[in-house]
Amino acid sequence: MTTLTQPRIKLAAARIDEATKTYGSNGTRVRALDGVSVQFESGRFTAIMGPSGSGKSTLLQCTAGLDTLDSGTVFIGDVELGSLNDRQLTRLRRDRVGFIFQAFNLIPTLTAEENILLPLSIAGRHPEPDWYEAVVDTVGLRDRLNHRPSELSGGQQQRVAVARALVSRPEIIFADEPSGNLDSKSGAELLSFMRHAVREFGQTIVMVTHDPVAAGYADRIVFLVDGRIVDEMANPTAEAVFDRMKNLGG
Amino acid sequence: MFLTSIRGLLAHKLRLVMTTVAIVLGVSFVAGTYVFTDSINARFDTLLSDVYSGIDVSVDPVRSDLDTTAGSLPAELLDQVSSVNGVEAAVGQVDGYAQIIGTDDELVGGNGAPTLGMSWVEEPSLNPLRINDGNGRAPLAAGEVVVDVTTAEQTGLVIGDQVRIQFSETAETFEVVGLVSFGEEDGLAGATLAVFELSEAQRVLGLDGAYSSIVAKAVDGVASTDLKQRVAEILPSEAEASTGAEQTQRELNQVSADLGFLTTSLLMFAAVAIFVGAFIIQNTFRILVAQRTKEFGLLRAVGADRRQIMTMVGLEALVVGLIASGVGIAAGVGLSYGLRAGMNSMGFRLPDGPLTVQPRTVVVALLVGVVTTLISALLPAVKAARVSPVAALSDAPPSNGARSLRTRTITGSVTTFVAVGMLTVGLVAKAGFIYVAAGAGLVFLGVAVLAPMAARPLAELLGRPIMLLSGVSGKLAKENTRRKPRRTASTAAALMIGIALVSFVSIFAASVKSSVEETVAESFSIDLAIQPTVLGDPSDPESHSGFPAEFTDQLRQLPELGVVSAGRFGLARIDGDVEGLVAIEPETIEAVYTLDPSQDALEKASDGGLLVSERKLDEQGWKVGQTIQIEFAETGVQSIAIDGTFRGENLGAYLISVATYDANFTSNVDSFAYVTYGEGIDDTVGRAAVDAIAANYPSVGIQDKDQAAAAAKASIDQLLAMFWGLLGIAIVIAVMGITNTLALSIAERTREVGLLRAVGMSRRQVRSMIRWEALIVSLFGATLGIGLGVLLGWSVTRALGDIGLKGMTIPGGQIVTYVILAGLAGVLAAAWPARSAARMNVLEAINHE
Repeated sequence: MTTLTQPRIKLAAARIDEATKTYGSNGTRVRALDGVSVQFESGRFTAIMGPSGSGKSTLLQCTAGLDTLDSGTVFIGDVELGSLNDRQLTRLRRDRVGFIFQAFNLIPTLTAEENILLPLSIAGRHPEPDWYEAVVDTVGLRDRLNHRPSELSGGQQQRVAVARALVSRPEIIFADEPSGNLDSKSGAELLSFMRHAVREFGQTIVMVTHDPVAAGYADRIVFLVDGRIVDEMANPTAEAVFDRMKNLGG
Repeated sequence: MFLTSIRGLLAHKLRLVMTTVAIVLGVSFVAGTYVFTDSINARFDTLLSDVYSGIDVSVDPVRSDLDTTAGSLPAELLDQVSSVNGVEAAVGQVDGYAQIIGTDDELVGGNGAPTLGMSWVEEPSLNPLRINDGNGRAPLAAGEVVVDVTTAEQTGLVIGDQVRIQFSETAETFEVVGLVSFGEEDGLAGATLAVFELSEAQRVLGLDGAYSSIVAKAVDGVASTDLKQRVAEILPSEAEASTGAEQTQRELNQVSADLGFLTTSLLMFAAVAIFVGAFIIQNTFRILVAQRTKEFGLLRAVGADRRQIMTMVGLEALVVGLIASGVGIAAGVGLSYGLRAGMNSMGFRLPDGPLTVQPRTVVVALLVGVVTTLISALLPAVKAARVSPVAALSDAPPSNGARSLRTRTITGSVTTFVAVGMLTVGLVAKAGFIYVAAGAGLVFLGVAVLAPMAARPLAELLGRPIMLLSGVSGKLAKENTRRKPRRTASTAAALMIGIALVSFVSIFAASVKSSVEETVAESFSIDLAIQPTVLGDPSDPESHSGFPAEFTDQLRQLPELGVVSAGRFGLARIDGDVEGLVAIEPETIEAVYTLDPSQDALEKASDGGLLVSERKLDEQGWKVGQTIQIEFAETGVQSIAIDGTFRGENLGAYLISVATYDANFTSNVDSFAYVTYGEGIDDTVGRAAVDAIAANYPSVGIQDKDQAAAAAKASIDQLLAMFWGLLGIAIVIAVMGITNTLALSIAERTREVGLLRAVGMSRRQVRSMIRWEALIVSLFGATLGIGLGVLLGWSVTRALGDIGLKGMTIPGGQIVTYVILAGLAGVLAAAWPARSAARMNVLEAINHE
């Protein structure tokens, strides 16, 4: 009934304000984040791009609650991460955030199915059967569910990781170079699944990449250089991204 | 190469410490045992040399191995010795059994420690005892006694007190007139001393007109060896002469022999610690080698050959072994202090003095530590040398193919098979302890080799309930133990061996106990059993193990009692071996004990024949009716007919009648007596009648049937206590091993832990995952250990079936306790690795190489 009286606004799934983060000490100080403010809207696929050392991974890790800021604030939904202790942060990651890493996404002793259900098992919850079936079908792993990671190809392993991130219906999924270790065909497949999840299920995904082709799958790109946001692009294509990157001098 | 090794070690200091602990423990037991016994020997050496310094020649009766009494010298021998040219002074002295009775009417001391009565030697240079100023005076007359300072302190005796003293046949009261010291020591190794005036000593010790020994001093200029020669020439064949130095050496040998049991048990602890430790060292080196596969590949790629890689790992092992042994030797010196304090607190009164660290101690301890470490590191070193240069580039660890599994099955099975064979030979054919020990060691090795094959299925079985209990943490823990079965198996090996040893001993002890119980219930139809309160070694004349026959005679007069059947103990040479003979009263024995004798055996035994147990008869290949030669100490070789057989050997393998005993032995001491009450006499009345007489005989102990069974069981429990110590050591080492392996495994799985934390696993869940993992490993070890223990227990109880063990009893409660202890040990071992895993920084862990 509230939908009748209130206009439907796309809220930010995550937001970071005036974020700074410095690594190292005196002689070797590196400003990884230098006053970054950015919002990641719900139901959109955002890519963070930048050359090596631009701070894009740091931005992702701080937004995801894996790392802490020197100053500034991070919100996931309406929760400010700076005020959370380790236990609350762990809960937040478990219940409200999904992760896809570049490599080593899976526990080698667990089957694909057990890996997909890992965050739910950790929380002691059971999956919603329909949703679980839908996710498994989306990533096309039905005949691989009882295999161990060592019996899966690199592409299949990353698809298991995507399924795991999706299955707990997190508010936001963070992906760090998810296709970085894959050949171009598997990479393209994986990114299609991710885009599909955004379009069909309204999933929010934030992805770090340095690959213009990968970034081309996103709805929006944020460009980062030397810890500052220098540019943005909506509905990009791979060619446009490639041109922009050249101009950034990465 | 050497520098590379050292750097590699320094990079993992903590790991190094954990690895070495097992070796340190083992080496410290070896070193501690040697330092302890050497120090005591050295101290006794100076002490005894001092005490005997005035004695040049000692004349003692010749003792054969059949004698149960010390023998004596005729009084006129003293005059003959005194008149030997070169003797300045000679004195005769007596010694024998005399035990002080405390104010509570209990005997003081004994139980292995000497309880000596002796005569006071007037000639100071020949007197080993000393009365210090303020400690009264020497005994001068009948009715006076002097006791050692330590015993006086312990019992609260002071000069002027009346004290009762128990001798072999009587007890008398004396006045304490002085306190003696033994050289510089107030007391010695728990011995109690009662010193009398010479003729009084001769009377109370039953040596009227005789001496136990004669000691002589040489005139200046005559060497003690020369004097010994001269004295020996005039001695009759029943006496022999020795120098003071030889006397000292004999006593020192006795001290060493007395410490022998302790030395053996300590070295056994050391052996277990080192054997178990070897598994842990091997495991650690294997994991380290696996983790450094890339490093070895790189070294190979830049030109190191296989020998150099092997040398590098070997050098690391050498350094670890040297450090561990060094620390172990230092710890051993500390341990020997602790041992002395512990022994003293148990009343052994060991002399103080500096600790002796002989070169031999250091050499043996170093050898043991270094060799064990090197042997343990051998296989990992070979494996490291096999790493190919390509390994530097590839990610995949080398896999263990089916071939290694087959090799494993074959080596494991063959080892186990050989081990069982050795055990069988050792136990059944009685080929000797060395076979049993080697067989047991090999069984452990064989099972340890086979264990990895059981690791997966057993971990699955043990992990199931844990998984149901704790969900994903349990599931991950279970899978982690199944992932590297070989690692799981070697981690559990330490616990397996400890649990196997202790459950074997428990099973064995329980089987013996239930046999004892059954035997007491079946064979004894008695109301009371009489035994000496102080149970000594019956073949050792210094230890007294009987009670006066006069006591038994008084019991026979009691109208309240039905049957009183007594028995005695003696030694005789049968078929070349010294054997124990038990004298019984054939007329009454069947009323108190079920002997199952062959027909007419008891009647014939009354006429001077011998009864042999069925087993012994069989073993010796004798026939009933046959006459055999038996040599007695006092009556020489006698021909005695085997008159019959009996079943069971709870009394002994050879029985004679008391009459036959009296014909061949002069001892007048009973070793046991079994008593039944008369018709219509109840326990209260019967017991009171016996107690009334026993009040005058402190050396008499009275037990009813239940107490007799309980006493027999209690002595078994004492033995068991030592093996709890063994379990303790094995558990300590096992905890180190599990901690070490877990820490290494978790280091390998850093990224995995990081991932789990990233997707929402709490620190608590990480901790519980690792604790469950340790629990599964330790329960795995306990399961194998108990299986092995039951197997060993079964084979040993079977092998010993013919000497009266009636099958195997498994003490369920104790076994469950061991499993629980093992589980607790596992959880304890996990504490530190679990904590450090839970504390990992999530981001660093994920990005870990």
